[in-house]
Amino acid sequence: MKIFKSIKWRLQLWYGLILVVVLAGFGFTAYQLERNRQFRQIDDEIQHAVGGLINALQRSFWGQLDPNGEPISGRPPPPDEQPSGHPLINRGMDEPRPPGNFRQPPWKGLLVEHDTNSFYCVIWSREGNELFRSTNTPVDLVVPMRLNSPGPQPPQTRGAFRELFQATRRGEKILVGRSIAPELKELQRKALKLTGVGGIILFFGLAGGGWLVARAIKPINEISATAVKISAGDLSQRINVDEAESELGQLAAVLNSTFARLEAAFAQQKQFASDAAHELRTPVSVVLTQTQTALARERDAASYKQTVEACQRAAQRMRKLIESLLELARFDAGQEGLKRMRFDFGKTISDSIELVQTLAAERGVKIISEITPWEITGDAERLAQVVTNLLTNAIQYNQPGGEVRVSMASPNGLAVLEIADTGQGMAPEDLPRVFERFYRADQSRTGAGNAGLGLSICKAIVEAHGGTIEVASVLNAGTTFTVWLPLT
Amino acid sequence: MRILIVEDEPDLLASLAQALREEGYAVDTADNGDDGLFNAESTDYDAIVLDVMLPGMDGWEILKRLRKTKKTPVLMLTARDQTRDRVKGLDTGADDYVVKPFDLDEVFARLRAIIRRSTNKTTNVIEMGDVKVDTAARTVSLKHKPVELTAREYALVEFMALHRSEVVTRTQLYEHLFDENDTTMSNLLDVHVSNVRKKLGAEFITTRRGHGYCIE
Repeated sequence: MKIFKSIKWRLQLWYGLILVVVLAGFGFTAYQLERNRQFRQIDDEIQHAVGGLINALQRSFWGQLDPNGEPISGRPPPPDEQPSGHPLINRGMDEPRPPGNFRQPPWKGLLVEHDTNSFYCVIWSREGNELFRSTNTPVDLVVPMRLNSPGPQPPQTRGAFRELFQATRRGEKILVGRSIAPELKELQRKALKLTGVGGIILFFGLAGGGWLVARAIKPINEISATAVKISAGDLSQRINVDEAESELGQLAAVLNSTFARLEAAFAQQKQFASDAAHELRTPVSVVLTQTQTALARERDAASYKQTVEACQRAAQRMRKLIESLLELARFDAGQEGLKRMRFDFGKTISDSIELVQTLAAERGVKIISEITPWEITGDAERLAQVVTNLLTNAIQYNQPGGEVRVSMASPNGLAVLEIADTGQGMAPEDLPRVFERFYRADQSRTGAGNAGLGLSICKAIVEAHGGTIEVASVLNAGTTFTVWLPLT
Repeated sequence: MRILIVEDEPDLLASLAQALREEGYAVDTADNGDDGLFNAESTDYDAIVLDVMLPGMDGWEILKRLRKTKKTPVLMLTARDQTRDRVKGLDTGADDYVVKPFDLDEVFARLRAIIRRSTNKTTNVIEMGDVKVDTAARTVSLKHKPVELTAREYALVEFMALHRSEVVTRTQLYEHLFDENDTTMSNLLDVHVSNVRKKLGAEFITTRRGHGYCIE
């Protein structure tokens, strides 16, 4: 069932159950306490009545001997002293009484015989003959034959009656009972009341709990609604974080930052694809216009050759672009396995300088370097690519007669390579963007093959080695690239 | 018709210029923004083909500055086909745009369209009495019979037709029929005019002595 899968309903169910158990426990205890109190009270009354009856009985008998009417205690009457005829025998309540001691039944005041809820009493002689039975005695009374000791007995409940069966010292057996119907009714009423109060508490508990749960769940619903929108493609959606301190607020904040990174990654990817497409537009335009012009009419061999050459240049440019893109894509995917080994970075740098000497001579740029042997761990080929790229940039963006200074240092376990030029420099607003893909400070194509990916590739390689690359520049004074690499 | 192309990619510039020349246009070129703006401001071109991404001054900047002095129709070459780029171009004062990579036929058609609009013509066909000029097919007919014209002669007829009822000076004709690389002798223009008169009738082009030529 779906409803039991919902956290809200499961929570409701659980604390509803707990609430019911707690309320039932309290209610039952309260009911029991009240019931015990009532019964104790009834028992007290019954015991009191029995005591009174016994006293009266004894007095009625012993009254002759004890004119003070003092109850005779501690002195049980000897059985032989008892008269053969019991004073109560054959004497009903309403019969005329023989003169003497028993003019008035001594317990008369204790019994209100017309009230069925009042005490009733049955007295048996020692022999088991019924001596007295009050008129309000219930008809279904069973004579309890079993009576073990003359001591006080606990009252017993029989149906809606509470009865105490006790023997006097002389042997008469007395049963005093009382209907407890009013008390039972009262108890029932109280039980109903308790149930009612419990029900009301349960209702408010469930309602309040439901409200609390709904409030607690609301952020979750918001989170899922936002997630749905995001999965539908709207990456700009964010969860509204109202309670930043609560657990869900923290979760929402974490999710929001995840969404932001996701959006940035998507935007970057989109930008990358659009930039790549953009870079391809110009060479493709060249091929199209060249071929369409050439095919418009018959031409001589020389002009066809020109067209083919232009197309080749465009194709070369596209090939370089594709290679760079693939290289970056491999670094992005983390698949570019670096061939790590121990090698002399100093030698790599010298080799790279050697490689760019021709270009430097063409541009009239002087390379000044202080290179010492320098062992580090890394991919020699990739790092050589970085150095060559940085050197080429330093020469290309230099001025005739300028300098490129290459220096090394190794502070605290790091290899630091610095390549400084005396070129045109870059504006401060361009600096943070130079490592961005396809970013070119001068916003135009400065020659085939320069797609604005070189520095991005340098950065990817250096970072794959666990290093960093930084740039500092002063406009019209020069630019310095610094590469930090771990030695091991 | 004289056209300026401002484009920094040399192979693209060369093929565009060649193709447009073969279409009968007089073509000037510039491979950077500053030269482009100088040319555009100093000569009355019939249209300018302007790339957006240029070294030095970019296409937007050239357009903005040019619009302060001239209404020359401008066709932008843009590498970005996003709406905001197009809107920016049109708002800045470009008359049309083509997204790279483009087909030459499309460039030709759009160029014809912006030139036509700049001379307040709505169709490609201009009729002057018995003479009919189709600027799209680049053909001229006299009494429904096609007339063979050289590219220069056609350019002369087309320019005169687009400026019908106006007196066109010799300087204007020079400016619009010959590009900066032409080192034509001035009497070559008279040769073209007399050839056209031979083919389309002597009274087709009238001479306003001391002023220039006119198609009534």
